[in-house]
Amino acid sequence: MKAVGARLPRYDGLGHVVGETTFVDDVRVPDGNLWARALRSPSHAARIVRLDTRKAAELPGVHGIVTHEDIPRNVYGHLEALGVPADEPLLAEDEVRYKGQPIAVVAADSEEEAQAAVEAIELELEERDTLFDIRKAFDPDAPKIHPWGNWFPYFGGPDEGPDRRKVRKGDIDKAFSDADTIVQGVYRPAAIEHCPTETQVALVVPEASGRLVIYSCTQAMYFSMGVVAAHLEVPLNKLKFVGGTVGGGFGGKVDTAAETLSGLLALKTDRAVKWRWTREEEFLASSTRAPWHMEIADAVTSDGWILGRKMLTLHDAGAYARFSPYGLTKHAFHHAGAYTIPNIHFDGFVVFTNRVPTTAMRGFGVTSVSFAVETHISRIANTLGLDPYEFRLKNANRVGDTTPNGVTLTDPSTVATIHAVAEAAGDTLAPEYAAMTSEPRSGPLLPDHLVTQQRDGRSAHA
Amino acid sequence: MKLTVNGRAHDLASDPLRPLLHVLRDELDVTGPKAGCQQGSCGTCTILVDGEARRSCLTPLALVDGAEVTTIEGLGDATRLNALQAAFHQYYGAQCGFCTSGMIVAAHALLERNPAPTRHDIQTALAGHICRCTGYVKILDAIEAVARGETFTETNGDRQPGVEESVAKTGVSG
Amino acid sequence: MPRHKGRGISTIEYPTGMNQNGDPSQAWIKLKPDGRVDVFAGTVDIGQGSKTVHTQIVADAIGVPYEWVTMDNSNTDSSPVCTGSFASRGTFIGGNAVRFAAERVRERILDIAAKELEASADDLEIEDGTVSVSGAPDRNISVSDVAAAATWGHGELITGTGAALKPYAPVDPETGAVEIEPHCAISYASCIADVEVDDETGEVTVLRLIQAYDVGRAINPTLVEGQIEGGAMMGLGLGLLENSYPYYPETDHRGSEFGTYLAPGMEELPEIESLILENPAVDGPFGAKAIGEMANNAQPGALANAVFDAIGVWVTELPITPERVLRALERKNDGKHEPRHEGKKVIFDEEISIGTIGANGGAVALDVP
Repeated sequence: MKAVGARLPRYDGLGHVVGETTFVDDVRVPDGNLWARALRSPSHAARIVRLDTRKAAELPGVHGIVTHEDIPRNVYGHLEALGVPADEPLLAEDEVRYKGQPIAVVAADSEEEAQAAVEAIELELEERDTLFDIRKAFDPDAPKIHPWGNWFPYFGGPDEGPDRRKVRKGDIDKAFSDADTIVQGVYRPAAIEHCPTETQVALVVPEASGRLVIYSCTQAMYFSMGVVAAHLEVPLNKLKFVGGTVGGGFGGKVDTAAETLSGLLALKTDRAVKWRWTREEEFLASSTRAPWHMEIADAVTSDGWILGRKMLTLHDAGAYARFSPYGLTKHAFHHAGAYTIPNIHFDGFVVFTNRVPTTAMRGFGVTSVSFAVETHISRIANTLGLDPYEFRLKNANRVGDTTPNGVTLTDPSTVATIHAVAEAAGDTLAPEYAAMTSEPRSGPLLPDHLVTQQRDGRSAHA
Repeated sequence: MKLTVNGRAHDLASDPLRPLLHVLRDELDVTGPKAGCQQGSCGTCTILVDGEARRSCLTPLALVDGAEVTTIEGLGDATRLNALQAAFHQYYGAQCGFCTSGMIVAAHALLERNPAPTRHDIQTALAGHICRCTGYVKILDAIEAVARGETFTETNGDRQPGVEESVAKTGVSG
Repeated sequence: MPRHKGRGISTIEYPTGMNQNGDPSQAWIKLKPDGRVDVFAGTVDIGQGSKTVHTQIVADAIGVPYEWVTMDNSNTDSSPVCTGSFASRGTFIGGNAVRFAAERVRERILDIAAKELEASADDLEIEDGTVSVSGAPDRNISVSDVAAAATWGHGELITGTGAALKPYAPVDPETGAVEIEPHCAISYASCIADVEVDDETGEVTVLRLIQAYDVGRAINPTLVEGQIEGGAMMGLGLGLLENSYPYYPETDHRGSEFGTYLAPGMEELPEIESLILENPAVDGPFGAKAIGEMANNAQPGALANAVFDAIGVWVTELPITPERVLRALERKNDGKHEPRHEGKKVIFDEEISIGTIGANGGAVALDVP
């Protein structure tokens, strides 16, 4: 029989159901391991006036403390290879920009002793003004929370503008001038937690050669290995990542969270070190899905065509960039949704605030815009007095249509998925809508304003 | 303190206030119960104490002195799956697998108490068990299959091929 | 009548693979002397089932039973590069890496088998672990015997590597335009949400979700359903329940445990109907494209639209909590929920726009002619 297409049981299913699957926290090393805990910023924004670990280091059970001074390369960016400059220190140096930002880590014989040492570290802070509302980030008197200012300035590459992700297509002014109606709306999905049932965890075992074996819950072993190697300034043969089995990630475990600092503690103590984040840390100090602010203005005709879209997006990155410029670009590429819109004007900003940095989460960049676009589309249909199925089917992308960034679609199935759910729900479509396909536009489905969108050569106007 | 875990007797000199979860995982190397939240709110550490489902993270060792503790490992192994384990495997009740131990143990306690629960009974009984893959449909399917007495032939640990089923193929291209 | 039913639809698309590409996955495969297959690849199984899916792809790409295949994704010493399990890239890019490696292995098996059968490799086919001459099924040799012959007779290792990489697609910073397709494929989906809204408590109950996903090819339909059902619940959390900052943009009262952060539980589960469409991707393994991430993208919009259908108010800040529903109803009853009309403009949500909230919002505010 063929395997592809068959409902074969999970490869790892038996291990899961008998409790034998080995997650990172289940790995055991012969001589046991030290436990790590972190000193995290109690403040949303502050200057670090004094940091003194001497008393903490003398406490019973404590084997080592790592601060920014112990890190070969403290500031490294997750997306440096893609031209996004670094902005985030592994451990805070002179500034903290979010509550929960790590400042020091301790390795001790037990979690309790490590925690006692964390609490004995002397930290003196000078509070700074905070910024939380991305809509106020552009105000002249807004606190400047980041060396780059309050929004990411390098969408052209390192040290290159523009300061926003732009998409420009067609003649937006003509679209708005030609429109019968312009529908404007604002959409604000919330930050949410990844909260996998397995919290962030790493176990690092130093080998006699000095090589580190890193048991990791990362979703991306080679990516995380690159991050650790960059901070430690070691070649890849000095690291071995062991992983591949993860208790849920949803994007949050693309951030390299516990591995690097556990590795530094292992090197400093020459002992195996485990850092298992508490659930409180997972909720309060690990990254979240970003909150977004999206404003859409669509130029539409009374008979239900979308002529043009103007859109402003603010992406709440939290205190540091991480993957946010990437996420915003992906968002920009998909801001037309499953529809063909010939005239586009999109501006998107990655805005910094004094909250925990936001990061990738399932549907990164697009979940937000899918919500915004789909709610907006139904609003337009309602405003024009049109059926929400019909308005969607008419504007749905077809073979040969182009996207906002100029990609020609080869196999869209938007029409088929709408037909499928309508049928399953028992909603009957008018015959001309039920007969629609994803074939290249022609006839009444190829009005003048869409002629330039057809690149297929099979279309009537080609 | 005396404790029987999955049929094995232990004599422990640990801190009586130490959470049972840590005793099991770090002293006895019984790692089926997971440290998902250590706040009693996710269910991944669920075990049976004298047949009752308990959150081992909030159970001090002293409270179970003399008790019989059963973890996922005590319900069955890959060569002799318990019916719930077989059902979870067959019905894809596990995705990442991290909540699975607690979920199966809690379902076991439910079925001991109520051998014929409705779907709603199961939802209520396991409401406090978080599956963040949110694979609840197939978890419920698995438990319901056991509740209605379905038998599972696959207990030998082999990865048996499933039944090939055709998927709806609509002509959506073009 | 405090409880009102409503239906909302939402239609989405989502790319397969990292935006702008440049994200490799690689694999290598070797045969044991009895023909059993060892696959080394770095794709992390985060519960989505990549180990299962990759095993199925390898089995068919070589032509051996699924049970023969062992997947090792455990470490970076033995596994080559995989950029990671994100961006819905595991089945397509990771799957292509193992497929390409398997195709190399298949070629090597045929080379050895050709010598053993004294036939041309071009005339051979492999099915269910047996190599046979096309049109002459009696002339055959098992893959086990081929592997043994390679090991003990020919002194060769049957192995193969595969690497999948779509080149990086630069973007024009002034227009957003790309020259190279910035993804591997695009998947499409629609979702219908049926809800009931209580206009006294503001509570939204999801009764049913009907969802259709075009995944190209369902390598394992049950795992696809798992993604659709799980994604539906996560989308329900996004739409109705979850919020890291209940008083956003302020940071007070963040939930620090499952008791105070509302992740969807089993009790919230609505009826879910999953429809899988298969519109094959040209370059995908056996036509497959992505499902993973997009599975939680369609529900929030469908839910907002269903709430409007039920009680005539738009809630466009997520999650759609009872408080937000009741406040919207209050505005509606006060005649304040209607959009403002200005010329041909119909303006919703003005009070939460940057033009209203930001002191200098004009610097970036949406300029609508």
